[in-house]
Amino acid sequence: MSIIEVKDLVKTYKIIEKEDGLRGYVKNLIKPKYKEFTAVNKINFNIKKGELVGYIGENGAGKSTTIKMLTGILTPTSGKVIVDGIEPYKKRIENNKKIGAVFGQKTQLWWDLPVIESFRLIKQMYKIPEGEYRKNLKNFTEILELSDLLEKQVKNLSLGQKMRCEIAATFLHNPQIVYLDEPTIGLDVFVKENIRQFIKNVNKQKNTTVILTTHDLKDIEDVCERIILLDKGNIIYDGEKQKFKDIYGKSAIAEFIVENKTSLIKNNINIRELKIIEETDTNLKVKFSHTETTIINIVEEISKYCKIIDIHMKEAELEDILKEIYKGAHTNVK
Amino acid sequence: MLNSLLMLGKMQFRQYSIYKSNFYLFTLNRIVEIVVYIFVWQEIYKETGEAGGFTIAQMITYYILVFTLSSLATWGVNEEMSYSIKNGKINKELINPLSYFQYYFGINLGELAFALLVGIATFILCSIFWSVSLPANIINLILFVIVIILGIPITFFLQMIVGITGFYTNSIWGMQILRKSVISIFSGIIAPITLFPNWFQSLANILPFQELIYTPINIWLGQMPLKEAIFIIIKQIIWGIILYIIAKKFFNHAIKKITINGG
Repeated sequence: MSIIEVKDLVKTYKIIEKEDGLRGYVKNLIKPKYKEFTAVNKINFNIKKGELVGYIGENGAGKSTTIKMLTGILTPTSGKVIVDGIEPYKKRIENNKKIGAVFGQKTQLWWDLPVIESFRLIKQMYKIPEGEYRKNLKNFTEILELSDLLEKQVKNLSLGQKMRCEIAATFLHNPQIVYLDEPTIGLDVFVKENIRQFIKNVNKQKNTTVILTTHDLKDIEDVCERIILLDKGNIIYDGEKQKFKDIYGKSAIAEFIVENKTSLIKNNINIRELKIIEETDTNLKVKFSHTETTIINIVEEISKYCKIIDIHMKEAELEDILKEIYKGAHTNVK
Repeated sequence: MLNSLLMLGKMQFRQYSIYKSNFYLFTLNRIVEIVVYIFVWQEIYKETGEAGGFTIAQMITYYILVFTLSSLATWGVNEEMSYSIKNGKINKELINPLSYFQYYFGINLGELAFALLVGIATFILCSIFWSVSLPANIINLILFVIVIILGIPITFFLQMIVGITGFYTNSIWGMQILRKSVISIFSGIIAPITLFPNWFQSLANILPFQELIYTPINIWLGQMPLKEAIFIIIKQIIWGIILYIIAKKFFNHAIKKITINGG
């Protein structure tokens, strides 16, 4: 059973076309010109309870717009979202009780008050039973290392500390679904690691469904099992993370340390799908495709022209794959 | 739900009271306003001896009460709403388990509690320097309190309407100034309504703003026949309902249209 169903979801915005200068300003004031912009273009997907889904795409691909429709903040232009049996933008409050969300660095914590007071407000608003609240608070405090922070005023916290508290606040009422819209933006590696650990932990313990958008693909590597890749409002991949890597991550990079080079390898070597990225007297960096050749083959070819001292291999990571896809292959992915 | 609202109010109040200077400066500001008005009216009374049916002593009490009540009539949630819309905090507010209106009503309670505190401090300090007449009798005092309380939904829903325009325009600065000036003119903050031309008085009679300041002060001073009280209360309730319906309809429309900054 899917907990989230998205059917033919579309969101178009009207943007005012602004003209420069005073004349443009006055013109705008009297008769603004509108331009339509499709942020999300007829997308479909289902998410099962307990899934950890990475929702990725470039800036402006429509990720946040989708999240805002899933949370019920925005009403779709057409199509439908059903979250646990209801359309969130129609029954907002009913839906709100079941979900949690983080939106970038925006915090729900009260700026001038100690963190714990914001937690108490959440307890009150969501009517979290005392025992459950205590249990969660203790658990979260441990994993996210909050014990020194709870009595501090929010304004005195660093960004990393604030985000850890924000994440805890979001999970405090045992939401069934949590939407995390770039929760790790601007954080250092330790805090990121901490937050990832926390998400995995809660998912395991409480079977919480998590939808995560991020630009740090380490988040996805680490946390998510499934990827939905969005490009210009369209879904271009939806499936397992590992399969995604298998299909698109055909290429690898090999770096050779060499000496006694007899001639420029660039001009002599001829292997299909092999690209020389960098070539100096002692260094050679190539990119090749696993389906077309093997590393043994390349070593054989290269050693005709020089002596190989050392080899480093790097398999394509999610980030490299995505870079490739964005760079040119927008159309031929699907 | 009531507990959540009270807790929101309490937290908003505490946010204010963390900066103690807020309280002193707001109170000082009110007293300065009172002093200016009293000096002006003292000069006018030297010339005329009478104005709008008030004696000079009553006029002094009038202005002290005006600025005791003016924070209650003009403060509220607009700054907070505007700030939230601009920086995207509104996303968080829309996924609260409380409705947007309930959430802000809670915040509003905190704002009003602080306004009340400033008002009471202003009143006490002023009664040291001037002789302020006390309510004519206990019934007047009770009626005074009832009319003030019934003004709360009116100012609140009006602020919600002004705040929601920010969903479309992203800035409510202009609307907010308009709201404040309309309230200061029609509630009697600038001068007692009886000093204005007849057409203005009829308009003020229809609008719900004179019940925020002018009417309760008249009740305090014992210048309002108690028979009229029931009509005043009915008028306030009707206006409260009208503004609630407008605000709610407006919100339902706006929420379908909003784009929300960022992302």
